[in-house]
Amino acid sequence: MKKILYVFIPILFTVLLAACSKGNKGTESASGDTGQGGSLARYTIANQYLYMVDMRELKAFSLANPTDPVLTKTVQVGTDIETIFVFEDKLFIGSRQAMYIYSITNPSSPQYLGEASHVRACDPVIANQDYAYVTVRSGTDCGGTTNALYVYNVANILNPTQVNVIPMSSPYGLGKTDHVLYVCDGGNGLKVYDITSPVYPSHKNTINGEIFYDVIVDEADDLLICMVQGGTAIYRINGYNLEKLAKIVN
Amino acid sequence: MKRTPTNSRWLIAPFLLLLISSCRPNEGYPTQVDGWAPIYASVDSVKKIEGVAARSIESGGKIYIKDNILYQVESGQGIHVIDYSTPESPQKLKFIRCFGAQELSIMDNNLYTNNVNDLVVIDISDLNNIKLVGRKENLLRMVSTAPPESGYFECPDKSKGEIVGWQQKLLHNPRCRK
Repeated sequence: MKKILYVFIPILFTVLLAACSKGNKGTESASGDTGQGGSLARYTIANQYLYMVDMRELKAFSLANPTDPVLTKTVQVGTDIETIFVFEDKLFIGSRQAMYIYSITNPSSPQYLGEASHVRACDPVIANQDYAYVTVRSGTDCGGTTNALYVYNVANILNPTQVNVIPMSSPYGLGKTDHVLYVCDGGNGLKVYDITSPVYPSHKNTINGEIFYDVIVDEADDLLICMVQGGTAIYRINGYNLEKLAKIVN
Repeated sequence: MKRTPTNSRWLIAPFLLLLISSCRPNEGYPTQVDGWAPIYASVDSVKKIEGVAARSIESGGKIYIKDNILYQVESGQGIHVIDYSTPESPQKLKFIRCFGAQELSIMDNNLYTNNVNDLVVIDISDLNNIKLVGRKENLLRMVSTAPPESGYFECPDKSKGEIVGWQQKLLHNPRCRK
């Protein structure tokens, strides 16, 4: 059994690593070096196209001439759209009703692929090749009563299926590395999960002391950049532990 | 004389109504409540984009990183530029004044954000010479004359300037509700 694990785990790691690193770092193309946004972002750049979502629409702008963005496509996606996340040739769009997936194989004209409806709630999404992680948060404006982390299998992109639900208190943004998932659970801390088994996130740690809204994983520097109430907090990643280095406010 | 009680009842009715309505001042609007208030900028300055001295984070918004620089939106006001290459002591470098800003993304040395409902391109290659290099007018629906969420809000007042965003705050005698 151990032998199988020794073989299997590195393979899984490699797959996830290969799958994640691009998604988390933003898509880099020959002359278009991009940074990384948080999971609450409404703008993202991939393959020299700027994609942005407002409440209802997805807009694609060509940045072939970087100082003169040209609108190439407007897509009616749904209602109450909140976030956009790019992974390779796909856009994952979070709304208060669903997660939508669009292909950007043709970057100038995103094509609808599939969606997964969920309870009415606010819902940032991040994803890799096979799995998407979505938080849903209830509240006056988000609607609903569910607070949870949803795991979707998106291997069949045309038909994402929900494979796990983990209760949360008031989840906002989230971020991941190859095998660790970070969920900002508002005033209930930053929750650290092992996702070596991607369907079954295993809770490893909770960091308290801030109200956490969103997170960016700076893998190159082993840092977590967290949007917290009042500003930003920086943590050093050390396994499942996080060491607070600084808080930027005044 | 049997009609008299009925008549007097009718006479009392308006007074009762008056009493009831006086018990509920402002048609149900609370005197103090958490809600939304517009952020204003003068019509002259609203489209001016410039690099100014670093300032304190008041209402930190969305975050973005590139090359050990953290960009954090100050909702409706602009973008903080913070060097975290020494993560134990991050240094604020500049503040990019851009009214209405809510979001950002960066490719090479160009920062894309919203200036109210315009998409703008800002050259950040020299932080001491931040400049606007592109603008697409009125393409976005980022900032509205109504708050982003339902609830009570401070009614917009055109004499105060153009609305460049909304902030949550404790309202006194709000007269608008979404």
